[in-house]
Amino acid sequence: MSNKDHNSEPHAEHISSYREHFGTWVGLILLTMMTVFISVFGADLRTLSVATALLIASVKALVVGYYFMHLKYDPAIYRIMMGIVMALFTVFLVMVIFDYLTRN
Amino acid sequence: MSETAAMPLNYLNVKKGIWSWLFTLDHKRIALLYLYSIGAFFLVGVVLGVVMRLELFNPGRDIIEPQTYNQVFTLHGVIMIFLFIIPSIPAVFGNFFLPIMLGTDDVAFPRLNLFSWYLYIIGALFALSTLIYGNGPADTGWTFYAPYSVKTGTNVSMSVLAAFILGFSSILTGLNFIVTIHRLRTPGMTFNKMPLFSWALYATSWIQVLATPVIGITLMMIIAERMFGVGLFDPSIGGDPILYQHLFWIYSHPAVYIMALPAMGVVSEIIPTFAQRSIFGYKPIAYSSMAIAFVGYFVWGHHMFTSGMSGAAAIVFSILTFLVAIPTAIKVFNWVATLYKGSIDIQVPLLYALAFIFNFLIGGLTGLVLGALVVDVHVHDTYFVVGHFHYVMFGGTGFAFFGALHYWFPKIWGKMYNKTRANLAFALLFIGFNTLYFPMLVLGIMGMPRRYYDYLPEFHSLNQISTVGSWILVVGLLLMIFNLVAGYLKGQKVGGNPWNGITLEWQTDSPPPLHNFDKMPELPAGGPYNYPNAKSE
Ligand code: HEM
Ligand SMILES: [Cu+2]
Repeated sequence: MSNKDHNSEPHAEHISSYREHFGTWVGLILLTMMTVFISVFGADLRTLSVATALLIASVKALVVGYYFMHLKYDPAIYRIMMGIVMALFTVFLVMVIFDYLTRN
Repeated sequence: MSETAAMPLNYLNVKKGIWSWLFTLDHKRIALLYLYSIGAFFLVGVVLGVVMRLELFNPGRDIIEPQTYNQVFTLHGVIMIFLFIIPSIPAVFGNFFLPIMLGTDDVAFPRLNLFSWYLYIIGALFALSTLIYGNGPADTGWTFYAPYSVKTGTNVSMSVLAAFILGFSSILTGLNFIVTIHRLRTPGMTFNKMPLFSWALYATSWIQVLATPVIGITLMMIIAERMFGVGLFDPSIGGDPILYQHLFWIYSHPAVYIMALPAMGVVSEIIPTFAQRSIFGYKPIAYSSMAIAFVGYFVWGHHMFTSGMSGAAAIVFSILTFLVAIPTAIKVFNWVATLYKGSIDIQVPLLYALAFIFNFLIGGLTGLVLGALVVDVHVHDTYFVVGHFHYVMFGGTGFAFFGALHYWFPKIWGKMYNKTRANLAFALLFIGFNTLYFPMLVLGIMGMPRRYYDYLPEFHSLNQISTVGSWILVVGLLLMIFNLVAGYLKGQKVGGNPWNGITLEWQTDSPPPLHNFDKMPELPAGGPYNYPNAKSE
């Protein structure tokens, strides 16, 4: 590390409570069950079931990022950067799916 | 050398011995490690290219079997893309000059920097190991298209693993540069006072960080498919080969901007120095790098017009492709406008920069031809494409790399090469290059398909011209290398600023001291290209 500019001011570390961790975990399990449920019983919904699966997966990723990975308690710049990356990724998916949906 | 005792300490003589290089954390030495290794692999790639041209001198079998030919063009492509052109300018000149141009003493993470060089070497060894291990190098083309890449017996897994590791090296370099640019600029240097080379590297780094992971996971999917038959890409087990092409090009199109943007950065440095005139349109050039990087993410489908993608999607991708041409043209016009009424001093680096503009224009305009939906249906997978991408990558970025080498040579080693010989080598390279590749554009329009070791008799004479071009090119290359090595060994000593440049690297000694500057560099008043002797208009 270059020693210039190394004045990383210590910002208050947030310590998550046991309850919060546990609650997050329960939420993730519920969402996983939902994914399984939809893929088993909603298979004939085709595109719609793919869309819901993606939606649930995104919510799970968000929860992991926010609570387990502490995005919620970090400076906003990290959330913005995550947002840009996710937006880019969404455009990739949308354009690929657009190709699939418009094929004959 | 006897005069070393009297020489001031610099990054080259401050420590000696092989270990002082292999464990160095100095960005300048790491840059040279990259230069030597990238240069070596480039030469391997050139040999493979020349072998192909020899085979194509006459129709029918000349020197190698069809299967060998397939493996040769694949290895040639893999080496040239992943080992040469992607790392080339950022890893060598970015590493060496980004910190100096920003007025700081190193990149943000020197250890990570060294680590990415080791990753590069490991990836390179993996790629070359297919020559002796497994069933020989992959025969899929550098694109590893499924389902063939899933089925062929050649060592695709190892080649793909190599590309995966090289991707990590690239990501780490990009990450390092982003943090360096954000955190380590010298006081007073705002973003809009950075040299344009830093802007180009900044845009490139974002592509490296955000696009490379996509190819990483895609290549892992190929390995999973080969080993476990997951059914991702192979239609016989329920996969979709077009999905592979989407994933592959989501990375590989932005990757062509990893190749092109740093080259444009180099040209934006060379031109104002040899015109002794402030750059025309600093902000348009800087921001168009960002615009190219951004729009470049959304055009990947133009590689798939004939592969079964939907017509509606093809139209969207075609339109977006035409949009990327705009920021690229902005740069070209600004460079030319910079030369206008400048005090032009035609030295070797400027010749390379002008050759870049010439070749890149041909490459870029043929790119637009390919981006036009109806035309692409005819020329897709012909030699027109081979001609097009060599004009962009070799004629463009390759020539910018050579130009950067000649521009910064005196700064890196503190000596000057023989300029007459350098001019001669340049002329041979330029003539050889165009003789080699221009016929390919014509052959493509005539309908000669790419990736074949044989061709119809009517293509004979143009193929012979092309092969003769490759010989001229090789002579030029050897002369250039000989001249630079001779310059390194016994060239004239030069001072800190042989070209009268004003970006910060010209304020320090040649070669620079270990920590780049002995005294704080001064930012030129009125921006990075405000030449004091510029003629007023
Ligand atoms: C002396 C220099 C070179 C020669 C003679 C040469 C020759 C060739 C030829 C003849 C092919 C077409 C093979 C075929 O389709 O049958 C080819 C393919 C290719 N070349 Fe080069 N080349 C040279 C330098 C370069 C450079 C500098 C780069 C990149 C910076 C490059 C990148 C590629 C790529 C990516 C392919 C496509 C491989 C594939 O189809 O998978 N080449 N080259
Ligand atoms: Cu492309």
